[in-house]
Amino acid sequence: MAEKKELYLGYASDKAVTPFFQEFLEALDQGTLMMSKCTKCGAEYLPPRQHCQKDMADCELKPFTETEAKLYSYVIVDFPPDSLSDRAPYVVAVGEFPSGKRLTAHITNLMSMPEVGMTLKLGFDKMEEKKLVTYKWLV
Amino acid sequence: MRELCAEAYRPIYDEGITQDRIDATVLSYAASQFTGQGAGSALIADYLGLHDKPHLRVESACTTGTASLRAAWGMVSAGLYDVMLVLGVEQMNRVSSGTATEYMSRAGDMRWEYPYGISFPAFYALMASRYMHEYNMPHEVLSMIAVKSHHYGAQNPKAHLPREVSLEEANNAVPICRPLNLYDCSLITDGAAAVVIAAEDRVKEFTDEPMWIKGIGAGASAMMIQDREALTSIPGAKRAAKAAYKMAGLEPKDINMAEVHDCFTIAELIAYEDLGFAEPGKGPDLVRNKENYHDARIPVNCDGGLKSKGHPLGATGVSMTYEVLKQMRGEAEKPSRQIDDVQYGLVHNVGQSGQFVNVFIYERGW
Repeated sequence: MAEKKELYLGYASDKAVTPFFQEFLEALDQGTLMMSKCTKCGAEYLPPRQHCQKDMADCELKPFTETEAKLYSYVIVDFPPDSLSDRAPYVVAVGEFPSGKRLTAHITNLMSMPEVGMTLKLGFDKMEEKKLVTYKWLV
Repeated sequence: MRELCAEAYRPIYDEGITQDRIDATVLSYAASQFTGQGAGSALIADYLGLHDKPHLRVESACTTGTASLRAAWGMVSAGLYDVMLVLGVEQMNRVSSGTATEYMSRAGDMRWEYPYGISFPAFYALMASRYMHEYNMPHEVLSMIAVKSHHYGAQNPKAHLPREVSLEEANNAVPICRPLNLYDCSLITDGAAAVVIAAEDRVKEFTDEPMWIKGIGAGASAMMIQDREALTSIPGAKRAAKAAYKMAGLEPKDINMAEVHDCFTIAELIAYEDLGFAEPGKGPDLVRNKENYHDARIPVNCDGGLKSKGHPLGATGVSMTYEVLKQMRGEAEKPSRQIDDVQYGLVHNVGQSGQFVNVFIYERGW
């Protein structure tokens, strides 16, 4: 059995990692965003849940294959929480994929103001020294 | 925080509701991380000389005040107690603004939202961006709400920031979480408020001017903001309002005044629509026409609201309730913020970004 790699999500994780979440993080570390699907009713979740919200059955992780979304809403955080003070200002965007699933992440390469409806591409990032991995939006 | 609670209870004591007449206490105390004080209800009960009476603490983020009132109402209605003191308190200025922002961001989903630095104002900025896009609304409308809040806060001796602001000043303030700026955001405040809930057959022992709880509605929304069916309203608020109106047998047009949860200006705008004072997308018209002023169609937050009066989390919902009774009794400090002839007053209290909402409708009892 491969040794567990110490990984955390985003830019200021709370460091509470379950085995299910660890599997998600290791896939993300390899450049794959995982969603989850209920083994009983087939309900899908992004970001993934270990337990189905509808019937409490187990969910299993599976790769999420959509790569482009539309910007549903955004905020430019000028005054950050202490934990992200080294990144401000940063742009948080909710993107909506064609399937209707949404994901919340930073847009990291904007050169002008964000606009609702603009196309977002799914990307990934790592900060090895902090053991952080993340998904992100690119324009 | 003990001194703040004593200041809130003292006027009630002075009116004759002494410790021996109170059966139990509910402490509305949302965020113990600001003070580090655990077992808050024990500390406060002891400080107020209520240490030999049952007490408990309620926590539901920014809606803790009305959640506490709901808990007390339930216990009194069930006959467990006849007279309960509900005390709301928060002492938030013991930490820096950055740390306060950090603590409040932890009311988002710690796994999926917190790692991306979505602060309390950021959640509402996501609503504002979407609202401005869907209804083509300029930011200036939000600033008009801030101008109103400060206009009334300037007339409230208990307000945290009691001063007028101009539309230009409000609209051009330093950005906090764009599109929201400084004057779109409520305050990090120390404060306390207290009310007494008594059984119907005991009320006359305490006052000739009570108000009755006519309707209570509670609603909830998805934890993560990305999972909400809309960002131009708070689904839980609509559910809470519907339940409260149904229980009261009233409609939005019957309400004479409202205290709404303006943690951010966009929250007040959305509240107009969620409470039925304006149709979806028409809240800006209500603002532009100044229908929300004390002498207009639906006076809202004529005490300055969370924006100018302040937002000590646990105290807020209790303070809103106090303000409704004060207006019903005609006891506003200045005629320029006194609302005429309030028969029905509404309180709308939202937790975090709308995960929980309480709506209370009060009726004048004399």
